[in-house]
Amino acid sequence: MRFCPYAHRTRLVLQAKGIRHEVININLRNKPEWYFTKHPFGKIPVLENSKCQLIYESVIACEYLDDAYPGRKLYPCDSYERARQKMLLELFYKILGYQNTVFFGGDCISMIDYLFWPWFERLDVYGIADCVNHTPALRLWIAAMKQDPTVCALLIDKNIFLGFLNLYFQNNPDAFDYGLSC
Amino acid sequence: MSGASARSLGKGSAPPGQVPEGLIRVYSMRFCPFAKRTLLVLKAKGIGHEVININLKNKPEWFFKKNPFGLVPVLENSQGQVIYESAITCEYLDEAYPGKKLLPHDPYEKACQKMVFELFSKVPPLLLSFLRRQNKEDCSGLKEELHKEFSKLEEVLTKQKTTFFGGSSLSMIDYLIWPWFEWLVALELNEYVNHTPNLKLWMAAMMKDPAVSSLFIDPKAFRGFLDLYLQNNLEACDYGL
Repeated sequence: MRFCPYAHRTRLVLQAKGIRHEVININLRNKPEWYFTKHPFGKIPVLENSKCQLIYESVIACEYLDDAYPGRKLYPCDSYERARQKMLLELFYKILGYQNTVFFGGDCISMIDYLFWPWFERLDVYGIADCVNHTPALRLWIAAMKQDPTVCALLIDKNIFLGFLNLYFQNNPDAFDYGLSC
Repeated sequence: MSGASARSLGKGSAPPGQVPEGLIRVYSMRFCPFAKRTLLVLKAKGIGHEVININLKNKPEWFFKKNPFGLVPVLENSQGQVIYESAITCEYLDEAYPGKKLLPHDPYEKACQKMVFELFSKVPPLLLSFLRRQNKEDCSGLKEELHKEFSKLEEVLTKQKTTFFGGSSLSMIDYLIWPWFEWLVALELNEYVNHTPNLKLWMAAMMKDPAVSSLFIDPKAFRGFLDLYLQNNLEACDYGL
């Protein structure tokens, strides 16, 4: 679904690694019956490959893509550094603003930055961008992220997102297709 | 390994020194199921290690410098690198140390183990709630929920037609979920897997694993610990020593 932050993580990784893919959007308020054969609870994101293998849970899907596809590795190679990124993800769920380099993994953008990003992109739309006023390092990170080609390519248009939110809070089933021409 | 049966360190204790070269240190607690995961992996991979037990009801101040969450298990190596969160410690050990790999190399098989791990995630808090309420209030609702969760795991084994959760041989996912089933055995609650025959067979197969059997929890000590722990007794973690 175009506005889901968890699915956004997976789309960021697909984009960053240049993995050819197709997207099928699911109407989360009116799920097709067949979708429950893909995920037992009808959640997104779910990856499906040509061997009919299904992978779900956004973090698991992202790691699968990094492992299975060649090219740029998003998780570091060093076992300790990998462990550190996974510990950081746990912290993300509890504390924000925990960093001492430009990006969360060091001087270059990596997996952990993409895993955090969807929520920060939405801060602006939700009208709560002020909550990073007291965390200059986080504000700098947001600015640096907006310069990343992958992040830019998938940036959600503010007005379209607002249009979606508006309809969504009214329980309008057409919310998910807001902004599409046909 | 050294320290596994030692008294725990509590508030006011001196912080331990540097980890000796060639060993990895695990901060643990004799009855903690999360720490048990790490101990199982250390044993299964034959990794030289030392254990420091932490009094979880009376934590030393220095311990929060190792893990800001103040929880066990925590790994510390001779380079001073610290790793916490039980699943992360297990994966780190598998990657950093040679020998038998517990996680599959194939990306899809690895992802499948992680999806099973997610499926299991409701069991630890449920089992703890259940043990807290036993003999006190009516816990039939909790029993129902436990049955439901066990059935999800049963479905995995039935669909795969394998003995273990990762295939025909024991692997990471089996060690990650084992400690809670070890509790069932120690507390003689095996009846809870009566309606899940494949899960029951899996438990029997696990009991035959050398790492599992060498680290098997002492049922009497565990019951003594549990009683004291549920009463928030500061001595709980050292019960039986």
